[in-house]
This record gives sequence, C-alpha cells and structure tokens, in this order.
Amino acid sequence: MLTTILQQLINGISAGSLYALVAIGYTMVYGVLRMINFAHGDILMVGAYLAFFGISAFMLPWWASFITAIIITGLVGVLMERLAYKPIRNASRVSLLITAVGVSFFLENLFLVLFGGVPKAFPIAPIFHGVLNYNQIYLPVVSIYTPIIALALLYMLLYILHNTKYGIAMRSIALDIDTTSLMGINVDIVISLVFFIGSSLAAVGGILWSTQYPSINPLMGIMPGLKAFAAAVLGGIGDVAGAAIGGLVLGISEVLIVAFFPSLAGYKDAFAFLLLILVLLFKPTGIMGKELERKRF
Amino acid sequence: MENNILSCEHVSMKFGGLVALNDISLNVVKSSITGLIGPNGAGKTTMFNVVTCNLKPTMGKVIFEGKDITGYKPYKIVPIGMARTFQNIRLFENLTVLENIMIGFANKVKYKLFEPILKTPRFLKQEKETKNKAYELLEKINLKEKAHLKATGLSYGEQRKVEIARALATSPKLLLLDEPAAGMNPNEKIALMYFIKEIKDSFNLTVFLIEHDMKFVMGICQKIYVLDYGAKIAEGTPEEIQKNPKVISAYLGEANVKS
Amino acid sequence: MNRNVILTIFSIILLFVFLYYASHHFSKYTIIILNNIAITMILAVSYNLINGITGQFSLAPNGFAAVGAYTAALLSLTPAQKQAMFIIDPIMPILGSIHLPFLPALIVAGLVTAFFGFILGFPVFRTRGDYLAIVTLGFGIVIDIVANNAITITNGPLGLKGISNYTNVWWSYGWLVFTIFVVMSIINSSYGRAMKAIRDDEDAAIAMGINTFKMKMIAFIVGAFFQGVAGGLLAHLITTISPTLFTFFLTFNLLVIIVMGGLGSITGTVISTIVIVWGSELLRVFDQPMHIFNFTTPGIPGLRMIIFSLLLIFTMLFAREGIMGKKEFSWEWLFSVIKGGKKNGK
Repeated sequence: MLTTILQQLINGISAGSLYALVAIGYTMVYGVLRMINFAHGDILMVGAYLAFFGISAFMLPWWASFITAIIITGLVGVLMERLAYKPIRNASRVSLLITAVGVSFFLENLFLVLFGGVPKAFPIAPIFHGVLNYNQIYLPVVSIYTPIIALALLYMLLYILHNTKYGIAMRSIALDIDTTSLMGINVDIVISLVFFIGSSLAAVGGILWSTQYPSINPLMGIMPGLKAFAAAVLGGIGDVAGAAIGGLVLGISEVLIVAFFPSLAGYKDAFAFLLLILVLLFKPTGIMGKELERKRF
Repeated sequence: MENNILSCEHVSMKFGGLVALNDISLNVVKSSITGLIGPNGAGKTTMFNVVTCNLKPTMGKVIFEGKDITGYKPYKIVPIGMARTFQNIRLFENLTVLENIMIGFANKVKYKLFEPILKTPRFLKQEKETKNKAYELLEKINLKEKAHLKATGLSYGEQRKVEIARALATSPKLLLLDEPAAGMNPNEKIALMYFIKEIKDSFNLTVFLIEHDMKFVMGICQKIYVLDYGAKIAEGTPEEIQKNPKVISAYLGEANVKS
Repeated sequence: MNRNVILTIFSIILLFVFLYYASHHFSKYTIIILNNIAITMILAVSYNLINGITGQFSLAPNGFAAVGAYTAALLSLTPAQKQAMFIIDPIMPILGSIHLPFLPALIVAGLVTAFFGFILGFPVFRTRGDYLAIVTLGFGIVIDIVANNAITITNGPLGLKGISNYTNVWWSYGWLVFTIFVVMSIINSSYGRAMKAIRDDEDAAIAMGINTFKMKMIAFIVGAFFQGVAGGLLAHLITTISPTLFTFFLTFNLLVIIVMGGLGSITGTVISTIVIVWGSELLRVFDQPMHIFNFTTPGIPGLRMIIFSLLLIFTMLFAREGIMGKKEFSWEWLFSVIKGGKKNGK
C-alpha cells in the first residue's frame, strides 16, 4: 500500500510539474494583460510538434531540436501577441477573450490541416529513456527529470522577476500598466518578453508531456491548458510561484483521487474543473491570495 | 448630530503596507455643499470610495442618516439615498442619453422578470413612467433635444450634466461628485457652479464634492475638508481654509495654475 | 394594437405560410437545413443575451445543449426502448420508467439546463473576474466526461438512438419565435437596460444601484433554458445523440455567428445565423475533394474551421461591431429607408 501511494505521489509530482510549467505562462499573461490566453494550451502543442519535426524531418540531434523548438515556440507566442492581441489591447476584455478563442481554434485546425489528425508517436530522447526500479516502485526516468527541470526554470524565472530590469517591469505592469508606461518603460517589449517566456515554458511542458505520454495530436493542448489554468487560479492568478504550487497540488490531487477511488478513474479530468469551482466559491484569490483587481475608480 | 447626513468616524484605509487614509473623521451637514480638497494623491477619491462602500475601511465607520453603513454592498447605497458621479465621466457609451437617465430610475421599477414577457399592465405603466420621468429630468437640465443621441455624441460639459442627472434620477439625499469640473473650460465651470447650486435647491439635496479648482470650491462650498497624504489637515469655511498655513504649504508644491 | 405589433404579427404569419409551403415542396435535405437554421438561431439568440447584451463572456452553449438533448431524449424515449438500448449497464431505474410527450420533455429539458446554469453561474458571478469563460469551457468538457462515464444515465459512448423524429419546422420555428420574443421582451425592459449598463460600465452600473449579480444570473439562466430546449429539439431532429456531438466547435460556431452579426444586436444574430449556416453548407465542399476543371484537390477536413477562425479573428481586428453593431431592426427604420428611396427615385 505504501509503495502504491509513493508511486502515485511520484506520478503526481511529475504531472503537477507539467501543469506548473504551463500554468506559469497563463498566470504571467493574465498578470500583465488581464486576459486569459486561450491559445496558451495550443502553444504547448506547437512546441511538441516543432520538437517532433526537428528530430524526424530535420534529423537534428534531440537536444538541438528541443532547444530550437522552444525558442521558435517562444517566438510564435510573440508573433501571436503582436498580430492578434496588441491591436485590441485597449478594447474591452471580452474582445480580447474572443480573439484568443479564435487564435486557439485557428492553431488547432491549422495543425490539423497541415499534419493530419492521426496521432504521431513522439520520439523519446535518449536521456529520458528507461525506467528505474526501486523496491517495486517504478520511476520513469523522465518523471525524475520533469520536476527538476520545472523547479530550475521556476527558480530562474523568479530570479528574473525580482532581480532584473525587465522582470521588475513585468511586475510593475501587472500592478498598473498605465503608470508603468508613463515611467518610460517600453511596455510593448516587456509584454512581448512575457509571451516569449510563457510560450517557451509551455513548449518545455509540451516536450516533456509528449515524452511521458508519447503521442502528439493537434488537440493535445486543450486538456493540459484547461487544467493549467485551473492550477493558476488555485495558486492565485497572477502569482508565478502560486502557479507552480497550484500545478503541483492539482497533479498530486488528481493522482491520489484515482488511487483511492479507482471507480472514479474516468472522471479524473473533471477533477481540475471541480477544484476550480471550489476555489472560486471559497477562496477566489487562491493559495497565495493576491488581490489582482486593478484600480477601477 | 441630527443635521449631519453623513459622518465618517476615524476612517483608515490600508492597502497592504500603504496607508491611503489615516484616521479621518468628517461630517457633511444636511442641505450643505461640502468640499473635499487636497493635493494629488491625498486620498480624496479613496475617501469617496469608502463612503460609497466600494471599499471597506480597515478601521472606522461610515454613518449615513444615523445608520452605520460600513461594509454595505455598493449597490445598496442607492436605495438608502446616496448617488455618485465619477472623475472621468462614466456614462454608458452604447446607450442613448435617455436610456442612461432611465437606468437611474432602475431602482424605482417594481415589476418582476416575467412581466415584460407577458406585457402586464404594471410593466407597461412603469415603463411609460420611467420614460416620462427621464424626459422630464432631461427637460430640467435643458438637454431634451439630445435624448436620442448616443451618450458619447455630446460635448464634455453636456456629458457631465447627463451623468449628474443620471445620479439625480435615483432620488438621492446625498450627491457625491468626484471632480465634476475636471476637464472643463472656465465658462463651463461657471455654468456648472450655477447648475450644482440650482439642483441642490430644486431637488432638496446635500452635495459632497471633490475638486481641484480652488475658485470653484471656494465659490460654491460652505464647508471644506482638506486632506494631505491621507490625513485631514484642516477643515473650515472657505475663508478659514484660504488663510490656513498648513493648507497653503501643502499646495505650495503643486502647480496651482488651474484657477 | 399599434402598427408595429400588427406588422410583426403579419410577418410571423408570412413566415408560417412560407414554412407550410416549404414542408410540402422542399427537398428533405433543404428541410433539414431549415430546421438547422432555426435551432442554431435559438442557440445564438440566447447566447447573445449573456455575451452581447450583458457583456459576460460565456462558452457554455455546447454543454447546455448536451444537457438539454440528453434530458429531452431520456424523457421521450419509451421505457422499452431504453431497456433495449442500455446494453453495457442497465439504465438507472427512475430514468428507465419515465416517459413524457414531446413538449413537456422539451420544457423539462430547458428547466434542468437552467438549473445547471444556476449552479454554474452562482460561484462565478459572485467574483469579479473573467473566469466565466474558462469555467464554462471546463463545464463543456466535464459534461463530455460525464456523458462518457455515467453509463447508467447516458449510455456512455454508445449514446442514445432511435429518438423519435418529432422536430419539424413548426416546432423549431415555433420555439424560435418564442425565444426571440422572450429575449427581446427582456431587452426592452429595465432588466435589459441594466444588462447593457453592466456591459458598458459595470462599476457605474453598481453605482446606480443595479444588482449586477442578479442581472448576470438572469441573463445566463434564461440563455441556459433556451439552449437546453434547442438541444432537445436537435436530439429529436437527428434522432441519435452521443457525447461527440456537443464539442467546443458548437460553441465556437455560435461565437462566430454572434460576433459577425454584432454582439449587441439580435437582428444581427438572425441575419448572421442564416448566412453562416448556409455558408457552412456551401463551404462543406472544401472538406470534400473538389473537381476544378481537370484537377482534383483532395478534401481537407479542418479547412472550413480555419476559414471560420480567421473570419472571427479578422472581424475582431477590423470590424468588431459586426454587421449590425448594436442596432436592432425596427419598422420605423424600414419605412424611413423606403421613403428615402422613393425621394431619391423621384
């Protein structure tokens, strides 16, 4: 029994780290623009596909393919913001949301048309190969790497946010975008940077996800995206550390629920949504409790 | 105190570490025009937001007509008799001038949701009344011809009047005006001064206003409170305030060119 | 009875005359499209109430339609049919024995969906935030999961079949007229004005004493009711329903419709529904292999969707107000156009 719980715990931490990586992108974009980027989950998918093509079509070594995919995905995020979101940045929030839904749908169907709906097998990088066996506990190697990578990236991001000029600018925009731009900060560049970072992290998440559940398809980003958003709200929307915590809590809870109530296994994916409703009902500001409503008066 | 329509007792407002309002007590006398002034960032709008229950004060009480209304839900202040306007005129852009005013009468409407569907007599009657009352109000402020224009199609001064009229439609006892003269030229400001005095009399109101323009405030208020850095530094009649050294020094740093 | 009311009633009579003619002379395929237009319009008009009039961004319709469809079907199927159909796991006893005629089944379906609207709206509208979109999106996914897993209720992935084909143009257009009537009645009342105020400036609306929570709930729940009924009508049109029928695309389609018609205009929604449903049928050719002169292009499923999503994005970027903006059709406007035309014609 203990080994099962331990096993599940490890699975949960691994899944949770993936949610965390994607949740961070959501929370950062919401922080600076107050918009839910519906297309963010699909960015995960884009990252996975780019990595796939790097290896299979361009014959790059896995590390080169991954790095290229991550950077290009980051740029895709920037492009998406510049083309579709920036022009309506000052329009109503509903307008931004509608456009985001349009972009999301566009990405899904573009990849559907370009690459077909049949899932492709994702090549597993040699470094992630294999499963360790320790006392009946099975540890896929990738499950060990995932939390470590996520943690490292989180640490780097927090460092950027608190110790660099652009990072501080990001936090400042999240508090008051108008005043920030009046202080001589180029808001456009900072926002592009936010999208670059968020999308790159989502790409990392996509690659790791595809390594763990090794098949990719154009609609693969929808579910992780939704769950990542739930995780971001759970952790306190707008708070990067909160998003990471929220991701972990969600990942672990999901796995434990199925472990203790196997008959509910089919409903596993619904759990994130239930959690979201509960958080909204009882503690809308999430675990970290940040009050994000901009000055309205 | 019977003739205070509004009392704020030891109101403090903290946002995390930032103290926006520090132990402020003030009273607004019934049927007066009372002013709240102070340099930029002194906390005037924050004070208003506390009074209108948009913010819950960290400490202290807001008392309206003898009743403690601290912590009320913001939309509940209208039925008890308080209405406000905003610093940057907030009309409903996609509605006509008439519809904006009709919203002000929303509180008086008593019919239930099914009634517009069944077209009950009560619905038809109250809709007609609302429309007529809105027209009357527009007539009083001389804007009846513009009733069917989109709110944004009016001049700035006219929009301000509509915003005030919309607040008047709620039949307030206390009208809070947040920098009503902002963005107006001197002629518009004079017209506004007369306008406020007139509606105060004809609608039997008390007016509590925030303003930056000294001439405006001195010309229209009977009593003035002065805030600086979140604290009350002076209160009194216009003459007393003008001579108050603390007030003068608080404003010395300010470019006071507006009057 | 004033002139406008008479004109409107007359138009409705004309509509039904047209439907009578259509049901006797048009091909089966065209009738299905006509029904499709009506059902989609019911969904779109009720969707515009929460999105366009009240300004709250919901993605709920596909979930609500699913709830309505399943409820109506489970109520109208005979106990014998249900017994036979639930082969994996027998149906829950209460559901197995109940049996209602078509109209009560539809109404109950609407009410059940409205109830879901209530429990969904309650936590979301209490908080100020843009969570409605994600929560309703998640709701659609949860309904999909439940429909697939709650086998004793929904028959899982197998779905329900053999639903009686009750839906005809009378039912669909009858409900459509009713939906538009109710929605317009709400809009032209202080409730509708309050909803528009919330859309334009929620804080100012609160400052005017409007109970914004209550208004949002009303718009959302009324929408849910009609979307449930629409789902029920759909179920009795295509006679087979399964979880895969109510995907996000249904909601996306409606979103394109109401944005292109003009978010605040019911007239716009009516027009754009016809355009889009029809156009969608026409665009279907892109999904099939096409023969252009001597070349054959392979069919590309998904191309239609790309066109739709680009349509949506471009509308948001360049023509945000859509066809009608926030204006509605009125008889006065029509007469002024005619008179204007006559003057110029002289």
